[in-house]
Amino acid sequence: MIPFIILAVIAIAGALGVILGRQPVHSALALVGNILALAVLYLLLSAEFLAVAQVIVYAGAIMVLFLFVVTLLTAGKEEGEPPEELGGQRWWAGIFAIGIGVVLAVLAITHPGSAVNTGIPSNFGTIHEVGHVLWGPDFLYLMAVAIMLLTAAVGVLVLNRPMKRSRVRRPGRREA
Amino acid sequence: MIQIVLLIVKVILLLLILMGGFAYTMLAERRFLGFFQLRLGPNRVGPGGLFQPLADAVKMMLKEDLMPLQADSVVYRLAPVFSLLAALSVDAVIPFGAPIHIFGQTVSLDIANPGIGLLIAFAFSSLGIYGIVLGGWASQNKYSLLGGIRASAQMISYELAMGLSVLGVLMMAGTANLENIVLAQRAQGWFFLPQIIPFLIYFTTAVAETNRTPFDLPEAESELVAGYHTEYSGIRFAMFVMAEYINMMTVSGLAVTLFFGGWLGPSFLPPIIWFFIKMAIVIFVFIWIRATFPRFRYDKLMSFGWKVLLPISFIYFLGTAAFVSGIL
Repeated sequence: MIPFIILAVIAIAGALGVILGRQPVHSALALVGNILALAVLYLLLSAEFLAVAQVIVYAGAIMVLFLFVVTLLTAGKEEGEPPEELGGQRWWAGIFAIGIGVVLAVLAITHPGSAVNTGIPSNFGTIHEVGHVLWGPDFLYLMAVAIMLLTAAVGVLVLNRPMKRSRVRRPGRREA
Repeated sequence: MIQIVLLIVKVILLLLILMGGFAYTMLAERRFLGFFQLRLGPNRVGPGGLFQPLADAVKMMLKEDLMPLQADSVVYRLAPVFSLLAALSVDAVIPFGAPIHIFGQTVSLDIANPGIGLLIAFAFSSLGIYGIVLGGWASQNKYSLLGGIRASAQMISYELAMGLSVLGVLMMAGTANLENIVLAQRAQGWFFLPQIIPFLIYFTTAVAETNRTPFDLPEAESELVAGYHTEYSGIRFAMFVMAEYINMMTVSGLAVTLFFGGWLGPSFLPPIIWFFIKMAIVIFVFIWIRATFPRFRYDKLMSFGWKVLLPISFIYFLGTAAFVSGIL
């Protein structure tokens, strides 16, 4: 229970840091903290493969790409610049978030539910078990996700393909 | 209770080994570079320059710790810590020797021995990049920023090929536990023979991941001053250097564990000595490469990673999969 509370506090602090940080790099760092705290939570739930995949994929690759872009965009920006106009969105987002939180808390208190205590198999969450599930019964879904990701990657390439050379010929170069 | 005491002792021992290893790897590198370049290298402090690391340490600690006015103070201070932390934590899962029996206890020579040790090592080493990117960004200096951005692009590109290159070992051993990978090599022979191409790819990407010549674009002194650590001085600069050398020892240790039979060796020397001998040889090759090769051009580096290393390691990975599963 104590590790859970510590990790939960870190995760929530990270999540708050993401939306409260004025500097985009600070927000990204807070998100990394949140991701790492979640990874350790997965470890506590004995889902060790999920925990490591979370760190390698999210913290190690995706967030680094985030930082790659964010550091380029915010380099040399003054701290005192006014934040972008969001209108009343902050207030509405806050009201909705608090509302949803209250509803969830009320539901949790009124319907405590029987604790999920079915007992997990001895090698739950290990690399072998995850592999058996992914390449056994769930193989179809794995392939579907793979095709979806491939489509997205190809889509990015198609959308960003350079214009044909002949169309962007500069007028000054005609003599050469 | 005795387990906790043992764990603390092991952690302290590992830290001492890594720190001492860092100091003397650096000295060895400077002296070897001297010999390679037909000069002497640092040989004044103590016999043969043996006390040079102590002098360096005192110098680094007493230097003034500077920070640019425009720097982001929190991130600027955090970056070297993150770098060093990620570098140190990978070594927790590397088995340095066969389990030993002492005081009636069986002690395994690693801090932790999880079933997914190999993946954990990769997870921690993938975090090391934050220190470099953040250090480059927080300095608010265009050379540092360029160094940090180059580092992130380079490390992400080469991490893919690195991950694919060790999958063959994982499949041949049938486990991701580093100790069992070593034991599997006792039965099947060292993996570098059947996996020679993945080993070469692993080694190349390891050089790139540790940002060493010929892949040291993030700190290319001829164009970027010193890259991401241009603005750092004193102990924070030392932490970046420490992280780099400890990373070098770590990837060497992983190479020995995955491809060269870990602590296995003839029994006239204890296993842990074999491990350190092999590791020292790999580190020497690192230094040799640094003294020999010129630096890559940046676009060549990226296309080499994506268009050469990644496809080759992928094809070899598929071939190993076919072989291990018995199709071939």
